[in-house]
Amino acid sequence: MENPAHVERQVLPVDIACVGFGPATGGFLSTLSRALADGDPAFESRAVPGMPLQVVCYERADDISFGVSGVATRAHGIRESFPDLDPAQIPMAHPVGHEKLVYLLDPLGTSRRSATLRGLDRTLRALRRILPLHDEALELPWIPGFMRKENGLLLSLGQFNAWVGAQLMGSGQVQVWPGMPVSEPLLEEGGVAGVRLVDQGLDAAGKPESGYMPGMDIRAALTVIGDGPVGAVGQRLDEHFGLPEGNLQRDWAVGMKMVVDLPEACVLPAGTVLHTIGYPEPEIFGFLYVYPNNTASLGIFLPSWLHSPVRASYRYLQHWMQHPYVWQHLDGGTMRSWGAKTLQESGRRGEPHLVGDGYARIGEGSGSTNVLTGSGVDEAWTTGTLLAEGVLELLAQKRPFTRENLEAAYVQRRRQSWVEKEGRVAEHARDGFQLGFVRGLLGMGLAGLTRGRLHLGGRPRRAREHVPTLAEYYRGRIPAAEIESIRETCASSGTPLHEALMERAGWPPVRYDGKLLVSHQDALLLGGKVQAPPGYANHVIFLDPSLCEGCQQRLCVGVCSGQAITPGDGCGVPQFDREKCVHCGACLWSCTQAREGDPERGNIAFRAGAGGLHSAEN
Amino acid sequence: MERILYLTHTEADGGLSKVALETLTSAVELSRQLSGSTLRLALWGGAIQTAADAVAGCGAEETLGVTGEEFADSRYASDAAAAEALVRAADATFVIAPASARLARTLPGVALRVGGRIDSHVVGMGAAGEGVQIQRWYYRQRMLATMTRSQRPWFVLVDPGLFETWNGEAGSATPRLVEVDLPTPYDRTRVVGIEAAKSQAQTIRPDADLLFVAGAGWTKKQADGQTHVKDAEELILGFLDSAQASLGGSKSMVEQSAEGEDVLSFMSHLNQVGQTGSTPRHAKGLATCCHGEEPHVVGWRFIHERRAINTDPNCGWAQSKADVLYVADAFALTAKVNELLRG
Amino acid sequence: MSQGFHLVVCGSIVPDPLQTLEPIQGAEGPALKNEMMLPAVLDPWAGHALYEAAHLAAATPDSKVWLVSLGPRAKLQQLMMTIAPKAAFELVALDGPAGGFTEAWETAEALAECIKTIPGLDRSRLLLFGGCASASRDAGVTMQMVGERLEISDQFLAVDELTPQENGTIRILERIEAGRYQVSECAGPPLVAAWATGRLPEPPNNAQLGMQNMRSIMPALQKAQPARVGAEGVEFLEVEVPKQRRNTRVVEDASVDEMAREIVEWIRK
Repeated sequence: MENPAHVERQVLPVDIACVGFGPATGGFLSTLSRALADGDPAFESRAVPGMPLQVVCYERADDISFGVSGVATRAHGIRESFPDLDPAQIPMAHPVGHEKLVYLLDPLGTSRRSATLRGLDRTLRALRRILPLHDEALELPWIPGFMRKENGLLLSLGQFNAWVGAQLMGSGQVQVWPGMPVSEPLLEEGGVAGVRLVDQGLDAAGKPESGYMPGMDIRAALTVIGDGPVGAVGQRLDEHFGLPEGNLQRDWAVGMKMVVDLPEACVLPAGTVLHTIGYPEPEIFGFLYVYPNNTASLGIFLPSWLHSPVRASYRYLQHWMQHPYVWQHLDGGTMRSWGAKTLQESGRRGEPHLVGDGYARIGEGSGSTNVLTGSGVDEAWTTGTLLAEGVLELLAQKRPFTRENLEAAYVQRRRQSWVEKEGRVAEHARDGFQLGFVRGLLGMGLAGLTRGRLHLGGRPRRAREHVPTLAEYYRGRIPAAEIESIRETCASSGTPLHEALMERAGWPPVRYDGKLLVSHQDALLLGGKVQAPPGYANHVIFLDPSLCEGCQQRLCVGVCSGQAITPGDGCGVPQFDREKCVHCGACLWSCTQAREGDPERGNIAFRAGAGGLHSAEN
Repeated sequence: MERILYLTHTEADGGLSKVALETLTSAVELSRQLSGSTLRLALWGGAIQTAADAVAGCGAEETLGVTGEEFADSRYASDAAAAEALVRAADATFVIAPASARLARTLPGVALRVGGRIDSHVVGMGAAGEGVQIQRWYYRQRMLATMTRSQRPWFVLVDPGLFETWNGEAGSATPRLVEVDLPTPYDRTRVVGIEAAKSQAQTIRPDADLLFVAGAGWTKKQADGQTHVKDAEELILGFLDSAQASLGGSKSMVEQSAEGEDVLSFMSHLNQVGQTGSTPRHAKGLATCCHGEEPHVVGWRFIHERRAINTDPNCGWAQSKADVLYVADAFALTAKVNELLRG
Repeated sequence: MSQGFHLVVCGSIVPDPLQTLEPIQGAEGPALKNEMMLPAVLDPWAGHALYEAAHLAAATPDSKVWLVSLGPRAKLQQLMMTIAPKAAFELVALDGPAGGFTEAWETAEALAECIKTIPGLDRSRLLLFGGCASASRDAGVTMQMVGERLEISDQFLAVDELTPQENGTIRILERIEAGRYQVSECAGPPLVAAWATGRLPEPPNNAQLGMQNMRSIMPALQKAQPARVGAEGVEFLEVEVPKQRRNTRVVEDASVDEMAREIVEWIRK
């Protein structure tokens, strides 16, 4: 069998190749395909003379509807693209109705709260007669304007993507191919000349098998990268070209969510938006959006700046759901779907080089997410539409997709857009969380109210710079020797360490009801319908085994949304089970071991891979 | 008033298969329930007298038959011609047939020829006023419908394992032989023979009391970080041998086999149970090292008593689906079970 | 062989088997809850038929594969993006419902009438392929009725292997009871083969093949004829998901010996 590195590959020439089908590429292709369908001017393909412009998009997931996000969006950009948008056309979509911001107290006394916060909680409880405090929660009387989504839309990203995709493919102008992961950009002469699809017919270790088919090289005049926060192509470009001076990508979060059939007795009307702070850990934000037909999208965000090595997102999600304020709406409900994804929370500060010769970057991976407004889909969509406008301009002028031309046609548009202006306001909004939860909230408020002129806190830190070891974290609560003993017990029984430690620290066991409170694996299988097709190599690689062997935190194991990463034997390299991976990418940014020669990156490579979630409702 | 026709082919030995006798029970029962209905029997095959005599005591008004060398083999052209002739001769409105491989292939075309409609995967029949209602599966045993229909003749293929085997008294029957208008040529297809499955035949025992379901966990790395596929093979074959069990595999297990990974050499798609495989019927089932979700658990639908071995107490195959879950290493436990079974 | 095969594969969408299915009463009878939202895949056994057909066509000069699909146009369009890179075929689309509660008889009629109008199809060279049952209606009767309507009297169900012989005959393995195969030899086309899993793994995605297929797929979708398919004459009295929850006794703290003894007792009972 030939070595994949030296094998001859088929070449497919196209004009524009897009990587990843999410809202950004949706916006790009919607704008582009409309102009192409218009036919004036008509653009002939240079890649395939005599044919119309060849525009293709390769999506990693097995279906274009397998994206993850419960979306509450102001939908500025989306509505600009679809002025007559009727939410009823899109399954699960609904206009935003009543919005609430809720501070959750700790009903169990187990969350890790600072003295300040405990004092605040005591004060709130003391004033319960005069404050709107009920069910261990305070509904804040006012939501800052920058957080509100008035006149906006609630969406299921999966269904929105499916709706956009159906229209795109119906136009016949562009092709969106799901189930086709892109492994890397074709880096040539200081620019990008297209992309390479992943090899098929490999074993888990990447060794060719009988059905080996080398990934095809798709050569394109323009490569549009919209592969999200942890996409393989975006990562490779960042490694190759670096980030612009002063930019950093150190703030991340994993969002874990469910779509739930609410109990019949639930009184929340469609359009309701609840945002929570304060519980299960103060820094873990929660959301609950009510869709039509008594269903809801709900979940939590577990941020990279959580000053805890315990990263059991699923367990935290279950405790959040069972908070009396939330549970009153959920008790008796049924899980319909489940999923998780990484959010690139550095936003504008994490912006990479947006263009270069032959390529442009859009969407979340291009730093468009706004962490102050808690919004990313509309921003991503808009970056796509801005690029499409620029691309159409260059096509009309018959100018090539050089860095210079793309700077003028796309980057300039982006700099003048609301995405940029609001992104700048949000740039330092969450820095205060480096100093603690209360200062984090104050910092956000300050940044929001002063339009970004004032903020609190310093530079974001890398995971290894602020995440304590388990022994440090539990000092005074669980003796180090007991932690080791629990670790050994968990290793031998194959049960999750972080959950065991949480229980030892006072979090009660979760009583499964078989409907909404189910085991992590049942959430994976019943909710996420996770699976991986055979014939692809493992996409999570532990690069330097010696670093893993010496690692105390092992955040990759605890944070893994699908329990796909397990401790391995003894203290060796963790094991990865591709069939459980939901491709959230949390392992990538959670690793506390610095890669040799590249302190910004950890010891885990998160490459392009097939499979993952098979739910269309997330 | 329904004119019920029980229709089946005979086996090579001239008798009737188990599913044919089960289906006869259902036909007799239905005719009893439906006042004013009539029941006829129709048999075809190389020889039919033995079968006709065996079921002579079922109370049918008449037995019709098609017999001859040209009807011995399971072949669509001749089978469809025979079945069509029998249905027409009986002037049937409701045709009940066992879901044998031969009838499943033949009957739909026959229904079309005589202007009827057909339902398969039928699991229940009963009187509804003067008419009939049936229960049948949809979506691979994931939904059960109770339905009736206006078109006649109405053909139903009854699933195996649902009714008692008919064990009434034998007698002496004189079938009315029906002429068949065979197409020319009727024998473009020639049956060459019967082949055992390429996987080891002894691992598939449809009549076994016990189904052993092997999950993908058998081929995964074990606690020592290594795979032990050879050990797994020995343990499983040893168990099948000593327990006389039938072998099923989860979807991920047989797909591994298809992809040529470290696999159990005797596992193939024929062993697959569940949503995209079969839904076998056995009195008992033992699932080992399976993980899976609802669609694959469908493979257990018709297993009466179910037990599971898994290291995960929350295993989706077991919780709420098995009667007993043993939280244990399947390698060690199966080895011990084999030892005790042999002893 | 002087002439290749004309391979017509009948196959359409079914809900991704991993999805949770729930019946509801729709305006025209039972349907699936959120049917249009459920991700769809090519019916698995029809998929095997398609891959076998493409493989056979590639190995037999002067052969061609048509995929005849009856389903909602928008869903078919989505499906094509997942199967076009896997096999070379020309799509013939019919725009109509593909749910499980439609009548096999009506579906067969729509498919057969459509096949009769395929330009250039030589029915004397026809190998009519499909799945041995769908994952939706799950009846296993449609292909035989399509075959009857096309006057094909050599039919095979649950096929795992189909091999053209040097003498022009075709050797076929059908699954029968007890895990065995019936081996038959057919004089040649036309024939109907309703496939089980076959012998081929799912082909890899070939981007170039996908692009080539799409050139004919998009026009085929645009000119898809509406097909009125329902369940005339059928009255569904009830459709339910069978209950199958059990109280599971978890044996966790017993020794391996104790567990083994209990299991053996149970087996011998």
